[in-house]
Amino acid sequence: MAFVLFLSVFLIAACGLIYELIAGALASYLLGDSVLQFSTIIGSYLFAMGIGSWLSRFIDRFLVSRFITVELMVGLLGGFSSTILFLAFTWTTGFRLLLYLMVIAIGILVGLEIPLLMRILKERFQFKELVANVLTFDYLGALGASLLFPLLLVPHMGLVRSAMLFGLINAGVALWSTFLFRDQLPRASAQRFASIAVIALLTGGMFFGQTITDTADAALYADDVVLTRTTPYQRIALTRWKEDYRLYLNGHLQFSSRDEYRYHESLVHPAMASRPGARRALVLGGGDGLAVRELLKYPGLESITLVDLDPEMTRLFKSHSLLRSLNRDSLSSPKVKVVNADAFPWLQQSRELFDVAIIDFPDPNNYSLGKLYSTAFYRLLSRSLSEGGLAVVQSTSPMFARRSYWCIVETLKAAGLKTFPYHAYVPSFGEWGFVLASRNDWSPGGQLPQGLRFLTVSQMHALFEFPPDLAPVPTEVNRLNDQVLVRYYDQEWREIVR
Amino acid sequence: MKLTRRQVAPALLGMTVKAERPLKGGFVLESQDRGHQIRDRAQPSPTKRTVRVPAVIVGGGIAGLSAAWWMNRSGFKDFVLLEMESESGGNSRAGENEITRYPWAAHYLPVPSPNSRYVRLLCEELGLFRNGVWDERWLCHSPQERLFIHGRWQEGLEPHVGLTKDDIRQFDRFFARVAELRASGAFTIPLEQGIRKLKPAHAALDRLTLSDWMHHEGFFSPCLRWLADYSTRDDYGTGIDAVSAFAGLHYFAARESEEHGPLTWPEGNAWLARGIASRVQPNIRTGVMVSRIERAGNRWRVQAGDTLYEAETVIWAAPTWLARWVVSPQPPAYPLESAPWLVANLTMARWPAEKGLEPAWDNVIYNSPALGYVVATHQSLRTHIPKTVWTFYWALSQSSALDQRRILLGGDWRYWCDRIFADLERAHPDIRTCVERVDIFRIGHAMPRPAPGFLTNPARLALCKPSSGLAFANTDLSGLSLFEEAQYRGIEAAKYVLSVIGQR
Repeated sequence: MAFVLFLSVFLIAACGLIYELIAGALASYLLGDSVLQFSTIIGSYLFAMGIGSWLSRFIDRFLVSRFITVELMVGLLGGFSSTILFLAFTWTTGFRLLLYLMVIAIGILVGLEIPLLMRILKERFQFKELVANVLTFDYLGALGASLLFPLLLVPHMGLVRSAMLFGLINAGVALWSTFLFRDQLPRASAQRFASIAVIALLTGGMFFGQTITDTADAALYADDVVLTRTTPYQRIALTRWKEDYRLYLNGHLQFSSRDEYRYHESLVHPAMASRPGARRALVLGGGDGLAVRELLKYPGLESITLVDLDPEMTRLFKSHSLLRSLNRDSLSSPKVKVVNADAFPWLQQSRELFDVAIIDFPDPNNYSLGKLYSTAFYRLLSRSLSEGGLAVVQSTSPMFARRSYWCIVETLKAAGLKTFPYHAYVPSFGEWGFVLASRNDWSPGGQLPQGLRFLTVSQMHALFEFPPDLAPVPTEVNRLNDQVLVRYYDQEWREIVR
Repeated sequence: MKLTRRQVAPALLGMTVKAERPLKGGFVLESQDRGHQIRDRAQPSPTKRTVRVPAVIVGGGIAGLSAAWWMNRSGFKDFVLLEMESESGGNSRAGENEITRYPWAAHYLPVPSPNSRYVRLLCEELGLFRNGVWDERWLCHSPQERLFIHGRWQEGLEPHVGLTKDDIRQFDRFFARVAELRASGAFTIPLEQGIRKLKPAHAALDRLTLSDWMHHEGFFSPCLRWLADYSTRDDYGTGIDAVSAFAGLHYFAARESEEHGPLTWPEGNAWLARGIASRVQPNIRTGVMVSRIERAGNRWRVQAGDTLYEAETVIWAAPTWLARWVVSPQPPAYPLESAPWLVANLTMARWPAEKGLEPAWDNVIYNSPALGYVVATHQSLRTHIPKTVWTFYWALSQSSALDQRRILLGGDWRYWCDRIFADLERAHPDIRTCVERVDIFRIGHAMPRPAPGFLTNPARLALCKPSSGLAFANTDLSGLSLFEEAQYRGIEAAKYVLSVIGQR
C-alpha cells in the first residue's frame, strides 16, 4: 500500500517536470534563445507551484476528491499543452502570452498536488517519515523525467505525444486513486467516470497526435522552422539555426540574418550615397523592410513607398517582434508608405517620380516573374525616375548565372537606360549581382552614413570592378514576348543545383 | 507530398472539399433564329421611312468595318454600316466578366509582314507599330505555346517528344518544301497578290487535298500529319482529308515573321474590331437585319427593318452564301461549305494543378478532336492571377459541314460541357473542380472550308468581281477566314465604291 502511494508521488513529480521541460523546449525551438526561454519558464513554473502550494490552504474538505480533480486537470492541460502551443504558434500571434499562461496554470495545479497528497497521507504515516518519503520520491521522479525527456521522449515520441503520454499518467493516477481512497470518496463512481473520459480523450489525442507530431516535429527537427505562413501568394518560412535566421519564400532563400547586411548595404548605399538630395524613394518587392531599414539611414529622404504583393509579408515584418528587430521596425516609420499591389500594374498607373528606386524582386525563375525583368517593365521604371534619378536592380548571381546577370544589364540598356553593374560577396548567397541604372551618367561616390558594417567609400568603388570570370558575356534582350532570361536562368541554375 | 501544419487541421475535421463545383453558364450569342428568318423569307416589317445614301455596307465584321474605315480615312463619310447583331465585330467579338475580357472567336493577328501594307497601316493607326518597333505590350508574351503529348507538356506545337529519326527527317523535309513554296512568291496574304504569279505546279496543288498531297510527297509521319491536320482545322475549320492542298500549304508558306508574335489581346481581335469601329461609330447601325436588296433602276433598295435605304452602291460584307436569300438579281451560289464551330469560355475559379511547364498562351492536346484552349489573362502584367478564363476552341470537322452542324445544334449545354471536360481531362484530370462557368457560343457558319478547286471555282471568281455598284467583300471570297483577307476584301470593295461614286 505504502509503495503504491509513493509511486504516485514519483509519477506526478515526473509529470510535473515533463510539462515544464516541454514548455521550455518548445519555446526554445520556436522562439530561439534557449537560455532565456528555459530560465523564464522554470522561474514562472516554480513560482506558480508556490502559488499552488499556498492556495492548498484554502482547500479544507473533500481532499481526495479535490486531489483527483487536480490530477485530471493537470492531465488534460499538460497533456494537450504542446498541441495547443503548436497550433497557437501557427495560427495566432499571441503565442508568448498563451505560453506563460499555460506554464502558470500547470504550475499552480502541480503546486497543489504534493501538499494535498501529504495531507491525505498524514493519517497513515509519521510526519518525519512522510516528509522524507514524499520528497525523496518527488526528487526521484524529477530525475527520471529529466533523463527520460532528452534520451527517449523527444527523439522517439516528439513533444506532442510525450505531453499526452504524461497526461495519461496523471489521469491514470487519478483513476487508481478512486480505488485506493474509495472509502474517503463520496462520489467515487462519478470521478472514476471522469477519469476514464480524460483517459479516452488523451488516447484519442495520441492517435491524432501522430499526425500532428509527424508534420510539426519533422518541420521542427529538420530545419528548425520558426514560423510558416501560407498566403494566397506564396509560402513564407522563417528558419533558425543557432543565431542564424533565414527567410524563405516558396523555398527560395531571401536572406540570412548573419550576412543580409552585406546584401542590403550593397543594394541601397551606392545609389543613395551619390544622391544626397534624394527625397523620394521607391522599393519594389522587399516586403521584409530590410532595404527600407538602410534607406532610413538617410534623414534627407522624405518618403519611402514600399510596394509588395503580399499583405501577410508586410504585416509579419511590421508586427512580429523577431522580424521587427531584424528590420529595426522600419515598416512602422512615418516616412514609409506600404502598398500591397502587383508591381507591374502599380507602376503602370503610378504618376509619381522617384529619386531612387530599389528593385528587389525574387529571381526570374518563372515567366510570371520574368515580366518584371523585361524591357517593357524597365521602360516604365525609367518613366518613374526623376531627372538624375537612379534605379538599382537585384540581378541574381553573375557567378552562377552569368548570362542571366548580363541579360538583365542588356535589357536595361535596351530600355534606354545607362547601366552601372556591380557585385558583392554575400556568403549565404555567394557572389551576388546588382545593376544601377539611370537615364544620366553616373559614377560611384558620395557620403556613406555612419555605422555600416560592410561598405566603405573605397570598398564601394571596388564593387564596380568585374574579375574575368564574371566579365560580360553576349546575351539577348529579355522581352515580354521573348523571355530569354527565364531560359538562361533555368539552364544556369540547373547546372549548379544538384 | 508532405502535409503542412495548416493542412492538417482541416484534414482532421474532414473538411477538405473535393467535390465538383456547381456549374453555371449556357449558350450565348445565339442567332440561328434570326438567320433562318432570312432563309425562310419571313415578311419584313412595313417601311416607315426611306433614306437615300450613296453607300450601304451590309455586315459589321472585319470586312465591313475595314470598308468603312477605308472610306472614312479617304474623306468619304456619307455611308451607313448595317449590322444584325447588337455589336459589330462579327467573328472578332468579345465578352467580359469580373476576371477578364475574353474572345468569342478570332483571337490573334500574326505580326504582318511588310507586304501586308493595309494591316501595317491599321497597326500604326492603333499605336501597335511605332517608329519601326512593335509594341511589346501586345505581342504574345512568353510562353507562347505548349503541346500535351504522351502524358506531358512540351514547349511549342510541333511535336518533339517520342519522335523517330524518320519523323524528324520528314519534318525537316516538309519545312524545306514549305520554304521552297514561300520563296516562289505565290503564297501571299492577301491571297490575290500571289495568284497573279501562280505557276501551273502551284495551281495543281488546288486540285487535291492536303492529305493526298502528303501521300504523294511521302509524308507519312503521324506527328507531321497531326500538325498539318491541327493547323488546317485551326485556320480553315476542316482537316487535311478535305482541305485543298493549296490552302493547307498556304497556312505554312504565306507567313514569315521577323518578330516574335503574334499580336494578341485578352479580348482577342475584338480589340482590333473595336479600334476600327470607334473611328466610324456615327455610321454604324447595330441590331438591324437586312431582309432584301433589290436593283431598282440605277439604284439598290436595301430593306433593313422598317427603313428602306436607297443606295447607289452596296458592299455585301456579310457571309457571301447568305446573299442568295437576300439579293436580287440573285448572285451565283457560294461554292464552299461553311464550317461549324464551338467556342466555349470557361471561367476558372482556380488553375488546375500543373507539373512541368507553366501554362502558355495557346495550349493544345495532341490527338484531340478539339483545338485546345487559349488563356485570356495571358497578356496580363500581373504576377499573381488567381482566377482566369480559358477560351476553348473546337472546329467540328469530322464529317460534312451539314452533319456536323446538326451535331452542334443537337447537343444541349450539359452535353457540350461534358464533351469539353472529357477532352480537357486528358491533360487536366482536376478540370471539373476548377471550372465554375461554361458559356458556349455555337457558330453554325463560322468560316469557309477551302476544298480543292476553290481557287479556280468560277462562282467564286464571279463573286469577286464587283458590278452595277454591288461589291462582295467577305473574307470567304478568299476562301480563307483571316483578318488580313477580310481587311483586304473590305478595302478593295471600298475602293470600288469610291470609284463608282467618284464617276458621278
